[in-house]
Amino acid sequence: MAEDNTPAVLLKNLNKWYGEFHVLRNINLSVKRGEKIVVCGPSGSGKSTMIRCINRLEEHQEGSITVDGIELTDNLKNIDAVRAEVGMVFQHFNLFPHLTVLENCTLAPIWVKKMPRKEAEEKAMYFLDRVRIANQAHKYPGQVSGGQQQRVAIARSLCMSPRIMLFDEPTSALDPEMVKEVLDTMVMLAKEGMTMLCVTHEMGFAKAVADRVIFMDKGEIVEENEPEEFFSNPQSPRTRTFLEQIL
Amino acid sequence: MAGKTSQSEGASRTVSDVLHNETFRAILAQVILVGAVVLAAWYLVSNTLDNLAARQISTGFGYLTKNAGFEISDKFISVSAANSYGRALLAGLVNTLVVSLISIVLASLFGTIVGISRLSKNWLVAKLALTYVEGVRNIPLLLQLIFWWKVITAIAPQPRDALQILPEVFFSNRGLNFPLMSPDPVWGWVWLGLLVGIIGAVFIWRWANKVQARTGKRPGSIPLYLASIIGVPVLVWLVGGAPTGVDAPVLGRFSLTGGGSVSTALLAMIVGLTFYTSTFIAEIVRSGIQAVSHGQTEAGDALGLSRRQVLRLVVLPQALRVIIPPMTSQYLNITKNSSLGVAIGYQEIASITNTTLNQTGQAIEAIALMMVVYLSVSLTLSLLMNWYNHQIKLVER
Amino acid sequence: MKKFGLAVLAASAMAIGAGAAHAGTTLDAIKSRGSLKCGVSTGLAGFSIADSQGKWTGIDVDYCRALATAIFGDASKVEFSPLTAQQRFTALQSGEIDVLSRNTTWTITRDASLGLEFAGVNFYDGQGFLVKKSLGVESAKQLDGATVCIQPGTTTELNLADYFRANNMSFKPFVAETDNVAAEALQAGSCDVYTTDRSGLAATRASQLANPADYVILPEVISKEPLGPVVRRGDDDFFTIAKWTMYALLETEEFGINSKNVDEMAKSTNPGIQRLLGVTDQIGSKVLGVDDKWVYNIIKQVGNYGEMYERDIVPIGLDKRGVNDLWTKGGLMYAPPIR
Repeated sequence: MAEDNTPAVLLKNLNKWYGEFHVLRNINLSVKRGEKIVVCGPSGSGKSTMIRCINRLEEHQEGSITVDGIELTDNLKNIDAVRAEVGMVFQHFNLFPHLTVLENCTLAPIWVKKMPRKEAEEKAMYFLDRVRIANQAHKYPGQVSGGQQQRVAIARSLCMSPRIMLFDEPTSALDPEMVKEVLDTMVMLAKEGMTMLCVTHEMGFAKAVADRVIFMDKGEIVEENEPEEFFSNPQSPRTRTFLEQIL
Repeated sequence: MAGKTSQSEGASRTVSDVLHNETFRAILAQVILVGAVVLAAWYLVSNTLDNLAARQISTGFGYLTKNAGFEISDKFISVSAANSYGRALLAGLVNTLVVSLISIVLASLFGTIVGISRLSKNWLVAKLALTYVEGVRNIPLLLQLIFWWKVITAIAPQPRDALQILPEVFFSNRGLNFPLMSPDPVWGWVWLGLLVGIIGAVFIWRWANKVQARTGKRPGSIPLYLASIIGVPVLVWLVGGAPTGVDAPVLGRFSLTGGGSVSTALLAMIVGLTFYTSTFIAEIVRSGIQAVSHGQTEAGDALGLSRRQVLRLVVLPQALRVIIPPMTSQYLNITKNSSLGVAIGYQEIASITNTTLNQTGQAIEAIALMMVVYLSVSLTLSLLMNWYNHQIKLVER
Repeated sequence: MKKFGLAVLAASAMAIGAGAAHAGTTLDAIKSRGSLKCGVSTGLAGFSIADSQGKWTGIDVDYCRALATAIFGDASKVEFSPLTAQQRFTALQSGEIDVLSRNTTWTITRDASLGLEFAGVNFYDGQGFLVKKSLGVESAKQLDGATVCIQPGTTTELNLADYFRANNMSFKPFVAETDNVAAEALQAGSCDVYTTDRSGLAATRASQLANPADYVILPEVISKEPLGPVVRRGDDDFFTIAKWTMYALLETEEFGINSKNVDEMAKSTNPGIQRLLGVTDQIGSKVLGVDDKWVYNIIKQVGNYGEMYERDIVPIGLDKRGVNDLWTKGGLMYAPPIR
């Protein structure tokens, strides 16, 4: 494990192309332990791609990514080590529909961490209880609501004891009345000191928990600021235009 | 007073309301339908019997016990010219099942490989698979069977110049000849040993599950299973005195004799049915895998599961659900298509039925019997697959 | 899947058709249709084979022409349907054809239990074996362990099994749907022996194999195969015409009447010839219900049995008539008197 003063995530001169299309341009970002960062920006700005690079769901072509002191290269061992540190919550939940809520949570601990089933189930029940869905443990994902599914997805990630959590627009596929239950869960996590990177447009959430807000456009980090400053006094005209559109 | 009123209302309800009652009408319609079907069937059967009697054509299933008097080339149960038509038809049914089963297994394996190749990132592999699928599935099966049959009979060498493809395994225009172990009572026990070994492997697997649940570590790798499946029969063989007598094919006056053999027709059937059906299975497998969204793989990756674990624990269990129902109909197709064996002289149930109806003249009985047999085989297969499908069905809200 | 189609057709004809078996229906149907439907083989030189123009020749074909002449006075009023061994009886039972003239062996089972009747014998045959000379086989007794090409659903299939069992030998059948397939398989070496009627073997050797001299027909004749035309039961008038057409072909040969001299013969004063050619006695119209000139027409248009043999069978290499000669010349061909 890395020492406490090493950054949790360090992106240096990150560049990525999809064929001819330059998705990420010279991204530099350092995330401290326990820091909560909200990433926003118009669609196609590269914000999702950036955080998907952090656990190697996407490959980058130039620059370096270091997570908890481990650099992401082609080395499969490093990729596995990084993925063990990083949890991810997807826009469309991506729960395994053929497994129960409980089995969704125990699958990785059993097969990756070689945890005895009983222990894995106890741990899963603990986190399911934390996201207040323990009573649905034996149902299948198809039998619970969208908000509940996203909370299960958060619990599923937590079961692997990650040190960093990535959220890729976790509330944008939800019906409005379910957004709050998921955000509440995320706020709870934030208060416990989890390092978090969230791609989200929930400005209320950003104001409440974020240490920094990052605005991306056309593959670049355009602005980086404290939430108060960011919303009340945006520096870049592009940020201003964007904020006018969403607020 | 009030009671009386309600009673008379009740009476009027029984007359018109019952006639307009939905359930009553549904039952009535079904009764009429069943009645009509039974009546039509009775008319057809009795009229047929009358006509047959008038034309002095024999009827009934008595012919099944009569001596068949013809030989069957591929046989997996003992049958000869001295047996009855019933026995010959049974041998034909066994031939149908054998060719279907072998083709089902081979087509499933090969079709899966081709289906996965269709999704390959390697351009050449993907295009080759696509060409194979589009080429083979668009040529009628009958032509393909005749093609393979002609290829084997015309191109393969004569028995005296037979191609030795493996030690003591010969390929010629008479089909495949391969060695068998000389008969010895020990072999029966060895087969039993194999069965015990397989059951043992199942127990090892269940024990491994339990240990994993308890400790998290999964004991027993592939060598342990192999030890059970191979070790037990080998042990039985050693204890039984390790007989090594081999009945190898030797060139006789006409062809290779001794050992086991697979005829040209059966070979052509297996090759033709396998290639043809594998193209459909390839498409089913491809669409099954594609039906599992990429998000599932990503979720597995993000949790740190290895590539193989993602495939085995996440993708395949979901793909199977999409694959099973259309796969069932492909398996049924293989079984039904095996009747094309008639065209190349593979003596399966349809071919034997033909010979039988021609020798006995009892076309109606023979065809009816064959239809019942095909129906039973197909329904059994369907039931099995439906049961399996039900076992793995997704639970939805 | 034509044969299944036929079998199903037969089944449905039996099931739906009501009282189809009344006397006279076959002949009436032929007359109202204006032509005779005749089932023949899919191609067997000497018996029934179509050339590249679709013109049929052979002794079985000629019989059908003679029968059409008896009914219509015109040898061209016949349609031929090629049938495999397995299709033939069903085709006749279902009414697809009126007469089956397809080198078919007369047996008691076929005569008595299929709802059919044999109208006579137009060729006395016997089952034999055709092998490659290079195998060095000289007798059928040396065929133990051989792979035998065989057409399924024939009497030869049954005789073969009987013969091998009787001689304590074993064989492997190679099922060939048609004569053509069997010839190909024999040539390719997929089977060692082809067994069928000896006439068929001669025909196959003469017309299907690339080097006829490389093959030999073994001396053994393992069965009696009287081949003849078959009709459906239930129409006695038609059956009688079919039977006596066959006899007329023999009777005329015995009297020395042929297609070349028939006009002259018609002027003969021999009462037997006068009766036969319809000059006197009106046997045709009074006895058979056909034209009085029926025999004259048959001989004029088709020829007598001897001419048919000369034309059809001799070219396939069976130039000695043997049992197929007239009884007066030591053969088995014998017609009851036409009077």
